Amino acid sequence: MPIRLGTGDLARYPFLNEAGEYLRQSGFGWEELDRPDMKDIIERAADRIRTGVDGSVYDKLDRYETEIITFLVTLIMVKSIGMEPALKKYALAEARRAEKFLTEDLKKQNEAQKRALFEKIFYDLFGLVIDVTEDGRLFKVKAADYLMRSSHFHEQEWKMINRLVSKGQVYLDADETVRLVRSELAVLITSRVHAMSLPPALPQAIREKADELRAALAPHYEYRAHAVTEYPPCVMHALEVMGKGENLPHSARLMLATYMLAIGKSKNEIVEMFKNAPDYNERITRYQVEHLAGTKGSRTKYSVPSCDKLRTENLCFATSDCAGIINPVQFGRRRK
Amino acid sequence: MSRNAEVIRSAFREYYFKQKSMHAPDAIDQREFGYSQFGMHGMVRHLSFKSIGELIATLVKEVPSDVYCSNALYRFPTLPMQEKQWLGADLIFDIDGKDLGLPCVPSHSYPICAACGHASPPGDGDYSCSACGGKKADRVSIPCGKCIDGSKKEARRLIDFMTEDLGVERQNIDAYFSGNNGFHFHVRDDSYRPLDSQARSDLVGYIAGIGLLAESMGVRKASGSDEAFVKFPKSGLALGWRKRVADKLKIDAASIIKLGNIAKEKGGYAGFKAELDRIAREMGARIDPQVTTDVHRVFRMPGTINSKSGLAKIKCDDLDSFDPFTDACLLGSAKVRVKMKTQVKFRLKGEHYNLSKESAELPAYAAVYLICKGLADSA
Repeated sequence: MPIRLGTGDLARYPFLNEAGEYLRQSGFGWEELDRPDMKDIIERAADRIRTGVDGSVYDKLDRYETEIITFLVTLIMVKSIGMEPALKKYALAEARRAEKFLTEDLKKQNEAQKRALFEKIFYDLFGLVIDVTEDGRLFKVKAADYLMRSSHFHEQEWKMINRLVSKGQVYLDADETVRLVRSELAVLITSRVHAMSLPPALPQAIREKADELRAALAPHYEYRAHAVTEYPPCVMHALEVMGKGENLPHSARLMLATYMLAIGKSKNEIVEMFKNAPDYNERITRYQVEHLAGTKGSRTKYSVPSCDKLRTENLCFATSDCAGIINPVQFGRRRK
Repeated sequence: MSRNAEVIRSAFREYYFKQKSMHAPDAIDQREFGYSQFGMHGMVRHLSFKSIGELIATLVKEVPSDVYCSNALYRFPTLPMQEKQWLGADLIFDIDGKDLGLPCVPSHSYPICAACGHASPPGDGDYSCSACGGKKADRVSIPCGKCIDGSKKEARRLIDFMTEDLGVERQNIDAYFSGNNGFHFHVRDDSYRPLDSQARSDLVGYIAGIGLLAESMGVRKASGSDEAFVKFPKSGLALGWRKRVADKLKIDAASIIKLGNIAKEKGGYAGFKAELDRIAREMGARIDPQVTTDVHRVFRMPGTINSKSGLAKIKCDDLDSFDPFTDACLLGSAKVRVKMKTQVKFRLKGEHYNLSKESAELPAYAAVYLICKGLADSA
């Protein structure tokens, strides 16, 4: 039996394939957007973008016909604004809106409705199979599926060691299950906007609104300069070991060099720092630093390893000053 | 080529010519191969073979010192790294005896002077070369039975995490002796192949016991002080790491008061956290994080000889009874005369050697073992 979603589901989850199907069947066309009664929809769409870019979740929910068209208009508008950072923030806000609805649904709905949601959202959109525990309180995700997603979260509680794991399944509650796919939802929305092609003559009402929003958003995305005030403890530790003439593992050398490159030290200064190493060879060190900087060899510029990675490599010596950072380069940054 | 390299090379060639223990990895044509050569720096990489026969023919012809095969699968394995098109990588683990900090190591570590190459018997205290007075030395270890048992203990833990927690079938975890002083594990489970380096790093944390939060065990920080209070997680303590630690602390999801007392005893939230961190690392398996998180690694090829020892990287059908000094010692036994650099004790193929004379005539496998270790020269 095919799984059917109600029209309420389409209003809450307008990114579902079924919502697009509804638009096709209703014979919706671009020209309709210039009709006077669409003004309200265009206003709603602009509001939805503004709210999203501000970092909040747009929480009005109307009839499904209105929601589906509003969502489409919002995508068109974001596309014609053409600002990537604004699109990212908007997409994340849409994902958080869906997250809110999904969490409520998973807590409230009956078994069949839950199954339909799993099927349509988790499986159809993201290829994720989810099971429910016998008592219905927890959800089960395969370990590899979990790792693929959770490893991009920075909070320690998402590390698999802090989860209930057994026989290849990770156990999550409703909020956590939905949180797991939220960023993918944002990616899905971003890629839909990227893939969209705008009609050569964009309806005037949308063009005007997009111009207005673009002008209002531009000042938010000006470049902010940062200054490094002191080294993070992991880098300090590596420098101390080096200072004593002791052997520093390869992974620590990589961290030290990429960090120094990232904060703008010259290659000469960096090569000089390794002078104390017991196996120092200037020619080799210089080549390695240049390799990491992307000027020799593979031409890939290496980034500074994340705090997570340093933790697994036993190179992290975090102090309370490290709170809230996910990469050593963020340490001690003060906005000018 | 040096006389030493010639002796090793001829023993390796004979092995590759006669060997029966090399099998094609799955999807052999999507893997990158590489090898290093005697007396040369660096590695010949970006090679591809259509069949195991083709690879063996190359090994017999080139006789490399070490042979590697990628854990990754690529659409174009012979192209430069950026153009290979990564398709996924087998999940691999490395347990190395030298990383375990075993107490027996100093008793079988031979210092070799970094300045003059003079070898000395194992000794305590500060090193000073008896030939040139040099202070720096590389240390060569002749692993003992305790080293191998230490690695096996870690291996059993790793297997327990992989089967019990991660749900991988035991028969899909292939264990190999590394050819020197440890074990390699290749997991045959397609669901882990797409994982990127970050996801594998999280998995390493799980297996090694890194990053367990006090909150996961129910110990939380009271606001404004360092005192701890207990509130168990909704999902309970009945499985995985939580169960392991709960068993160790002799608590369950009803032990609110007992856990509160334990935390208090350890000095509050921070003290409990530090203790938990210590316990978890102790209970985790000591695996090399670099190996598992590298999704482009060329990893020693099963069935080939390790030039650090002349022993083979070989599959262990039964880890418990596996004896690397017999089961992985696969070179020929023609007599070879060697000049000893120092007095050495070791065991191969069930025979104990205690060589103190200046020169000795040994079966090729034993002579190669000592030359590879840098403790003897071909006479």
